[in-house]
Amino acid sequence: MIEFQNVSYAHSKGYGVNNLNMTIKDGDFTFLIGPTGSGKTTLMRLIYFDLLPDTGLVKVNGYISTKVSQKMIAKARRSIGMVFQDYKLLGDRNLFDNIALPLHVLGFRSGEIPARVDEALELVGLDKKAEHFPNELSGGEQQRACLARAIIKEPDVVLADEPTGNLDPVASFELVRLLETIHETGTTILMASHNYNLIKGRGRPIYEIKDGILRVR
Amino acid sequence: MDKFLYLVVEGIKNTWRHKMTALTAVFSLFIALYIVGLMATAGNNTHKLLNYLRSKYKIEVFFKQGVSNEEAVGMIHSIKQIDGVRNATIIEKEDAVRIFKDQFGENIVDLLGYNPLPVSAVVNVDRNRRDPIRVEPIIEKIRLVGQIEEIRYQGNLISKIERNYKRIVDQIPYLSGIILLVTILIIYNTIKLSVFSRRELIMTLQLIGATRSFIKLPFIIEGIFIGLISVALVFPALIITVETLNYMISNFSSFAIKISFDPFVWFWLFLMVIVITTLGSYRAASNFLK
Repeated sequence: MIEFQNVSYAHSKGYGVNNLNMTIKDGDFTFLIGPTGSGKTTLMRLIYFDLLPDTGLVKVNGYISTKVSQKMIAKARRSIGMVFQDYKLLGDRNLFDNIALPLHVLGFRSGEIPARVDEALELVGLDKKAEHFPNELSGGEQQRACLARAIIKEPDVVLADEPTGNLDPVASFELVRLLETIHETGTTILMASHNYNLIKGRGRPIYEIKDGILRVR
Repeated sequence: MDKFLYLVVEGIKNTWRHKMTALTAVFSLFIALYIVGLMATAGNNTHKLLNYLRSKYKIEVFFKQGVSNEEAVGMIHSIKQIDGVRNATIIEKEDAVRIFKDQFGENIVDLLGYNPLPVSAVVNVDRNRRDPIRVEPIIEKIRLVGQIEEIRYQGNLISKIERNYKRIVDQIPYLSGIILLVTILIIYNTIKLSVFSRRELIMTLQLIGATRSFIKLPFIIEGIFIGLISVALVFPALIITVETLNYMISNFSSFAIKISFDPFVWFWLFLMVIVITTLGSYRAASNFLK
């Protein structure tokens, strides 16, 4: 479960989030919508404890922002899968190694890793591209690879921060469908986007954030 | 165990993944270690060169005209007891005639009808000393033996050599300290640049929940690996340099010395590089961790 209680955070340039209250229950698929600079990324970063609130508290899977240490933050992130607009794939290694990375972090035995990576690659439709390097893939493929890396550790929560920001409409719809498939396994998903057309009519709760203030749409 | 092995392999793989960065780092480390190795080898051989020069120090003692060969033997025995004297060799009156003939081609006894050359002695100083030799106190003590007409020695040359030797010996600790500091800084900065070029990797690893030690270990392994490659290259490079210098000294100079390479120098370089790369990588990776 993700819970925000009166959370405020201000960046040095002034923007951020302001007195934010929000609850996302386990197994929910929630959209977060808002224009660029509205505070979507700040909210996401608060969830994976990349930022800690100035006031209020954030609870994620039992971890509380006011009590987390550096070591606990690393632990908390292990139950969160993240998908970024700029993919954050490592250019110096192929897809297989990129996607296997979270499993190594979690201490999986080397014998178990290939099967899991193959499974994740198959789920996102990249099973024939395991040996490719990120720069050899299209934007859509890179984003799917990023998603495979996020879900390979079977996280409780997947955070997708503007995952379709660099994708064409077809690839964007494919990605949202993939997220829905992952959600069917019981994973909590929070997807941020500024593209309302992409998320409307899906029967999911939509939060709208503007100038750091959140409201249910 | 699997995790540890993975991190070790990652460290080595990273060297290969970033070949150009690794190559630059190896080159910088090699140059730094080579200079330190060269300085240490030079330091080790300074005494050898000094010994060679000291072996050329000669004090010639001329006894008074009336002193017989037998009396001179007794006096030379006293000279040998003086602190700082390695040995003393008598040159009897007859030997002096022969030397004169060798040098001037004339027999002085035939020319003058008598032998005017006195008994003399060549005194060699004790050269196996770490501290500079002072010849003047030895000369003073020789004079006290008595019956001595004249003492000749290369006073200016000896004091110049000994003065310069002392200067070098005094400066070595400071010079070594500076070189070592510069080397440490070069190695540290090289590693830091190498880590900096992969700050994106550090950030991504942090985002997927890697612990600090998980992130740092491959960088430490990579740093050590680069250090080991550099130090492995330094060993043959130093031997080749020493052998080339020996070849040049024996073929193009009149010095009869042979520079030696102490494998302990390499051992110290090895230890040094392990320590610096480990600490340097650890620190550099820590700098980029939030």
